[in-house]
This record gives sequence, C-alpha cells and structure tokens, in this order.
Amino acid sequence: MEYLAYVAFGIYVLIILTGGLMAVLCRSMVRALVGLILTLFGVAGCYLLMAAPFIALMQILIYVGAVSILILFAIMLTRAPAGAEEAPYIFPWRSIAALAVAFLPLAVIGGMIRSGQVTPLVPPTEVPLAELGQTLIEPYLLAFELISVILTVAMAGAVILGFERRIGK
Amino acid sequence: MNIAPELIHIAVALAAIAAFIGLNGLVLVWLERKVAGHIQRRPGPYEVGPWGLLQPVADAVKLVGKQLVRPKVADPWLYWSAPLLSFTPVFLLFLTIPFGPRLIGMEFNLGLLLILAFSGLNVLALCLAGWSSANKYSLLGAARAVAQSIAYEIPLLLAVLAIAFQFGTLNLSTIVHHQGPMPWQWNVMTQPLAFIIYFICAVAETNRAPFDLPEAESELTAGFHTEYSGMAFGLFFLAEYAYIIVISCVATVLFLGGWHGPGAPGFWWFLLKVYALIMVIIWLRWTYPRVRFDQLLNINWKWLLPLALVNLLLTLIFVKM
Repeated sequence: MEYLAYVAFGIYVLIILTGGLMAVLCRSMVRALVGLILTLFGVAGCYLLMAAPFIALMQILIYVGAVSILILFAIMLTRAPAGAEEAPYIFPWRSIAALAVAFLPLAVIGGMIRSGQVTPLVPPTEVPLAELGQTLIEPYLLAFELISVILTVAMAGAVILGFERRIGK
Repeated sequence: MNIAPELIHIAVALAAIAAFIGLNGLVLVWLERKVAGHIQRRPGPYEVGPWGLLQPVADAVKLVGKQLVRPKVADPWLYWSAPLLSFTPVFLLFLTIPFGPRLIGMEFNLGLLLILAFSGLNVLALCLAGWSSANKYSLLGAARAVAQSIAYEIPLLLAVLAIAFQFGTLNLSTIVHHQGPMPWQWNVMTQPLAFIIYFICAVAETNRAPFDLPEAESELTAGFHTEYSGMAFGLFFLAEYAYIIVISCVATVLFLGGWHGPGAPGFWWFLLKVYALIMVIIWLRWTYPRVRFDQLLNINWKWLLPLALVNLLLTLIFVKM
C-alpha cells in the first residue's frame, strides 16, 4: 500500500503546483482565484496524507468554503464582469526575479538536507479530536487566545475603516 | 493484485448513491409539481403516464436533447466547470450518512464535518456560474447567493455544533446510536431550538423559497443560471434537489433518530422521515412568499445567530452539569 501514498503525494503536489502557477500567471483575476482554490485543495490532500483528516476538512470548510468565496465576492464587487481582465504583460526582469525568489526556499531546504542527517519519519498516526482540543486549551492556551484577540482587532479595524470612509463622503 | 474490501465497499456505495440521486431527482420533480398543483387548486401534471408519473422522464429527455449554448463573452473554462463543480461534491455528501444499521457508505469519525465542508462548494459553483456568464442578472444572483449562504452558514454550524457537543462526537452513526426508537428519545426533544434553527438555515442554504433570492425569477430572470441551457442547467437543478435530500438526511440523523423507529428499525424509517422533511420543504415553498433581502439578513443576524449562540451555551451548561 505504500506506493499508493507516493502516488497520492505526487497527485497532490501536481495539484498544488498547477494551482499556484494558475494563480500567478492567469490574467483574469477570477481564474487566478480558482488557481488559489485548487492549491488550497491540494494542501488539504497533503493533510490527509499526514493522517490529519480534521485539519484537511477544516481547510476545505474555512479556506475554500468561506475565505476564497469572500475574495470572489470582493472581486465581483470591484470589477466589471467577465471578459478578460486587463493586466499589462510584464516581461523579463520581474518574472526572472520572481522565479529566483521561488527557487530560494528550495535551495535553503536542499542545502539543509544535504548538510544534515535526514532520518525518515515514522508513519504519522491520527490524533483523536479530544486530544487535539486538550492541547489547544492546555499547553497552547495563550497562543490560542492571542489568535482570537488578533481576529477581534482585525474585525474592529475593518469596521472602523468602513465607517470612516462613509463619514468622509 | 488484491484490492482492499473497503475500496470495493466505497465504489459500490458511490454507484448506489448515483442511482439514488438520479431516481430521487425524478421522484422529487414529479412530487414538487404535483404538490404545487394541489396547493394551488389545480391537478398538476396528469397527461404523461398515469397521474403524470412519466412527466419527469419527459422533462429529462427534453433537457438532455437541448443544445448547450455559451454566451460569446463568457469565460469558457469557468462557465463549463461551474455546473460540474456544483454537482460532483454531492457524491461525497451521501457517503457517510447511515441509512440503516449497516447501510452506510463509509464509517468516518468526522462524517458530519465532511458533509459541512463539501456542501460549501456549492456556493463557489454558483459564484463562478454567475460571474462567468457575463450577464448582470447572473452576477446579481451570484452576489446574493454569497451574502445569503455565508450568513446562514454560521447559525447552521452553531446548531449542528450543539448536537456534536451533546454527544462528544462528529460520527453520524454514533449520534444515531445515542438515540432511541421512540420519538421522545430523539434529539429533537432535547434540542428543539437547534432543530428549528438548523431547518431554517438549511432551507436558506439550498436557496429554496422563501429564501430563493439568488434565482428570484420575478427580479433576476433566473439568477445565476440565466445563461445555462440543457443539461448544464439540468446539473444545477439535480444538485439543488440532491442538496435538499442531504439536508433532510442530516436533519433526520441529528434530530429525528436516524433509522430508529417504533417496531422494526431500518432504512424504511430513515426514508420515511427524510421524505416527510422534504414534503415540509416543498410545502413551505408553495405557502410563503419570498422574503426581501433586508428581511433575509435581519432574520439571520438578529434572530438566528443570537439564538444559536444561546442554545450552544445552554447545551454546554447541561453537558457539564
């Protein structure tokens, strides 16, 4: 059964890369967003492979089902519908620089792998949901609460920005 | 090479689900038109076959035979992928629903979460359909679909979460096993508020009247699927009916005791309850007028959301006591 895992990993990586390239290269904003969604799906698949189905489903529920739809909503509200989105074609230098930046993590991680000893990881096992919750509210309680504070601040900020613009008009 | 029996089980389940969806599509089209007819004091379809029973077959043949047309300025890839994206997740949704004591596609600890996660894809499909059609009515329909389903998803999740808290699991079979055969042993008795909130939100999530603003035909022609013809429209239509069955199935599992029932437990009780819920949904559609958009959002943010939160809090208190 192990080769199945390799095949699945290959498929997920292909999905992630295709989505990523679509997100970067597509001229139409909505198509780029579809690329992003494809990438998020691939990442969810990788979570499945790591025996974390809860995280995988949460990824789909939150990122695909809510976040990307809100982005799509924003695009629909700001732009004229369909037809090609006009984005001027930028060649050489920026693309080359972007490619170089994309390969930077590969070089760093590759160097680390070459220099250090790499031991194969043990096959991951699924963590029960209750245990996951326990770790969130016991050792990581502070971090967990800080995330909620950040979200609250972001939300309050968005509301304030929205109101200020209305008063300005 | 030997194939794992679980895989064979899942493959058989998927084939059975496909048959179930197709058959139910036909039955529900007939049922909806017949019920609508009787509610409006007319006979409904009666020409094709006995009691008009073959009417949905005639409809289906008509849909399949129609030409698929795409507006010239529409984005071809997104335009054609939208109906497929709307329909394909449906197969996954039925996979973890326990139809009977042994009749289940796949035992999965996170079955409830799987259904909630993949049913969210429908909104994405509606959005892509509305945007890529390059038509102002489609776009307005899509914008409404987003505002509506994002809003109603929150109280829906909170209502479902109350049940998950009560039993400490997301496994649908376990939730059914915790309930008894008699109606007073079902969750609807301990969680009546959650049931009402779930039901209202679920009807809104499937864009059914009185919450059918994304496809309000008197204002938006046909909303997000204005430009779709033939089977492209047919897929949206079939997906909508499939989602109605899914929400009725989930309601049955969570609140109405699943396949439990007085006398012999089995899938017949399950189907009976599901069809009773579907009848209520059809009845609602032909009884109430469409809500206005501000009413729609007010019901959600001012009533359902606070009530769902209060319900969750009460559940927590009772569980911990």
